[in-house]
Amino acid sequence: MKIDKETFNSFDLVGKDLSNRGYNSSHAGNLSMKSGGKIIITRRSAMLGWLQPEDLVVIDLEEEDAHSGLIASTESNVHRNIYKHTDAMAIVHAHAPATTALSMIEDEITCIDGEGMFLYKKIPVVECDIPVGSYEVAEKVAPALQNYPAIVVRAHGVFAKGVTLEDALGVLTGVEQAADIIYRVKLLGQPLKRDYSKEKGFTNW
Amino acid sequence: MKGLFNKIIEVNLNDRSHQVINIADEVYENYLGGRGLGVKLFTDRVPPTVDPFSPENILVFTIGPVTGTSVSTSGRMSLVTKSPLTGTIFYSNTGGIFGFSMKRCGIDGIIIEGKSEKPCYIVIDGNKGLEIKDADELWGLDTEATYDKLKELEGEKVRTLEIGPAGENQVRLASIMNDASRAFGRGGVGAIMGSKNLKAIAVINGKQKTEVDNPELLKNYAKSALDKIKALPVTRSALPLFGTAGVLHVTNSLGMLPIRNFKYGQHEKAPLIGGEAIRKEILVKTEACYGCTIRCGRLTEAGSMKGKGPEYETVWSLGANCEIFNLIKITQANYHCNKLGLDTISMGVTISCAMELQDKGLFPYKEVKFGNEDVLSELVIKTAKKEGIGAELAEGSKRLAEKYGDAETAIHVKGLELPAYDPRGAMGHALGYATSNRGGCHLTGYMAAMEIFNAPKKIPRFTIGGKPDLLVLKQNQSAIEDSLVNCKFSGYALGFDYQARFVSAITGLDFNVTRLLEIGERIYNLERIFNIGAGFSNADDKLPERFENEPFKEGLSKDRVVPIKEMLSDYYRVRGWDENGVPKKEKLQELGLK
Repeated sequence: MKIDKETFNSFDLVGKDLSNRGYNSSHAGNLSMKSGGKIIITRRSAMLGWLQPEDLVVIDLEEEDAHSGLIASTESNVHRNIYKHTDAMAIVHAHAPATTALSMIEDEITCIDGEGMFLYKKIPVVECDIPVGSYEVAEKVAPALQNYPAIVVRAHGVFAKGVTLEDALGVLTGVEQAADIIYRVKLLGQPLKRDYSKEKGFTNW
Repeated sequence: MKGLFNKIIEVNLNDRSHQVINIADEVYENYLGGRGLGVKLFTDRVPPTVDPFSPENILVFTIGPVTGTSVSTSGRMSLVTKSPLTGTIFYSNTGGIFGFSMKRCGIDGIIIEGKSEKPCYIVIDGNKGLEIKDADELWGLDTEATYDKLKELEGEKVRTLEIGPAGENQVRLASIMNDASRAFGRGGVGAIMGSKNLKAIAVINGKQKTEVDNPELLKNYAKSALDKIKALPVTRSALPLFGTAGVLHVTNSLGMLPIRNFKYGQHEKAPLIGGEAIRKEILVKTEACYGCTIRCGRLTEAGSMKGKGPEYETVWSLGANCEIFNLIKITQANYHCNKLGLDTISMGVTISCAMELQDKGLFPYKEVKFGNEDVLSELVIKTAKKEGIGAELAEGSKRLAEKYGDAETAIHVKGLELPAYDPRGAMGHALGYATSNRGGCHLTGYMAAMEIFNAPKKIPRFTIGGKPDLLVLKQNQSAIEDSLVNCKFSGYALGFDYQARFVSAITGLDFNVTRLLEIGERIYNLERIFNIGAGFSNADDKLPERFENEPFKEGLSKDRVVPIKEMLSDYYRVRGWDENGVPKKEKLQELGLK
């Protein structure tokens, strides 16, 4: 399957944006999108900030193939399972620091700022014995993403879905922004004057 | 299943009998309600080869689990039949209050088969049950007069579905109106009622409440949804202020407002007939469907006439696409369509087709030419009556163009006239036209929402990569929205997970996003199988040639054509269909279909 220039440009743009934000170390994180009944995904250890056309790999949507085992992202099985069991059309994964930090002390991250409450409400936290690349991650992340735009794997990082890569990037950066605000409020050490999240019934979300 | 009553009324007009049938929970769990339930009931009863006008064709009107609940935009219902215009299975959808009122009568739908010997109408009374009555006093009346007469006969609070003279005369563009206001607009469904001598369906005195599994949770979700609807500018202000016709300003600026039968993509006079002009010049007040805060409906006054609309599609089809920019004349023609019971999109596009034929010297009616606003209302009236030139227009653009030897002049897919988004301006939307199970329809996948309005997400409109995959997702989602039944406009503001939350809170069952998408896929494939049985194939999944070969020379959509064949092969693969567009055996087995 040929990967057209516009598709590569999307990967390149999103990869550079993540890199500029410092969400990943130089060779970490991964991106993918569905196209023509297949998955286009970044190559294992690709530098997201400096993607080349050969850093994009086409793998099967239904089952493991040679590419996915040999050269595709370590987490290609997680991406595949998300595509098989959710409405995701694109996935961005990064080790966004504030969200990842909060995942170590919370069982779910409840947004407290206006934008976060409006867009996400809650970010589920998924815990795995082997939090990177394992089948366990693949099995636990997909169901958690069914009714949420993003989840965080405890002590690992965020998986965000979208209709395009840019959309998934928007979700991931939005979630990190919401987490960063919680993080800063915790640093302040003061109780909230008004906790909107309790008023909106987010516990039922 | 909670949220519904598990009961459908089956009416046989041959002998005017009826019976209540119970629907198994399994059917609801696999098809929900609305369109899905309608498609299941329809395909179980009707062979694909049925003549649409024969008594064996049936009409299946259904509501869904979300209909009439506290969810804003849930005042909708569905219809499934075989279209006399396209020959495909045809799903249609209407707003207003009828759906909610029918649900209050404690039924999930009504199936109508056979043909009454004399004109009749059906009354579903929450107190007395169902009765079939003679329609001698109604036959021949326009839709407004029919609605008024039914209020007189059955009570002021009656809600109605009715056809006008166009339906009675079996015009292939005839609609079914709803309280003479909203419509099951497309596909000539009104002609099917006419062929059965069925003038109207009325509901009244319903008092039953739907059981909701977790009302508090539903209230929570509905409130959150409302917050989003009130926050997004499209639903918060653009639709309430300017109605759907506000869209014209956007499509025109993007160079994808079809002009002169899809020859150009923009026109300097277009703003004269857009939502801003409607608001300034003819608006009396805005109106809403049951429980809806968006209020996209318009009550207007044009010259000495007063009525509902016009919608975006109408100011375009009867206006810009005919190179007519007189808002009063267009609105008056729109009123005539509503009163006579005609689909404004197909009516307008059939007129613009005739205008292009005349422009090419192929059509004998010289007065039918682009820009001639004085013929509009006259052509509408003659079409409803099948009088003179109207008898030719009444067949729709495909048959008209074929008759005059230039089939490519008709801008349609599978016989259904295209709506007001030029395919050259949005590639996913274009593929949606070609692959819609009911023909040239903008709502079956509604990629324009994302490609044009960035709602709820932004996607680039000219890219090809990933578009077939995204369209399949949107078509499956759309089948679910039509089955719950919820308005497409809520989708501007809400992610699809909201639909899963609504139906899960209502039914108490775990309808997560994945499960809903599988149901949507099942519905879409069942429709496809029916169409294949009716004689359709991959050869029909196409666009008129001009969209593949003739780019616009100006505007923001210039130099673009639609690579439909390239996208189509990917689309079939994503769908799990073979290269001929036939669902593979394993796909059908996966979905539990034969």
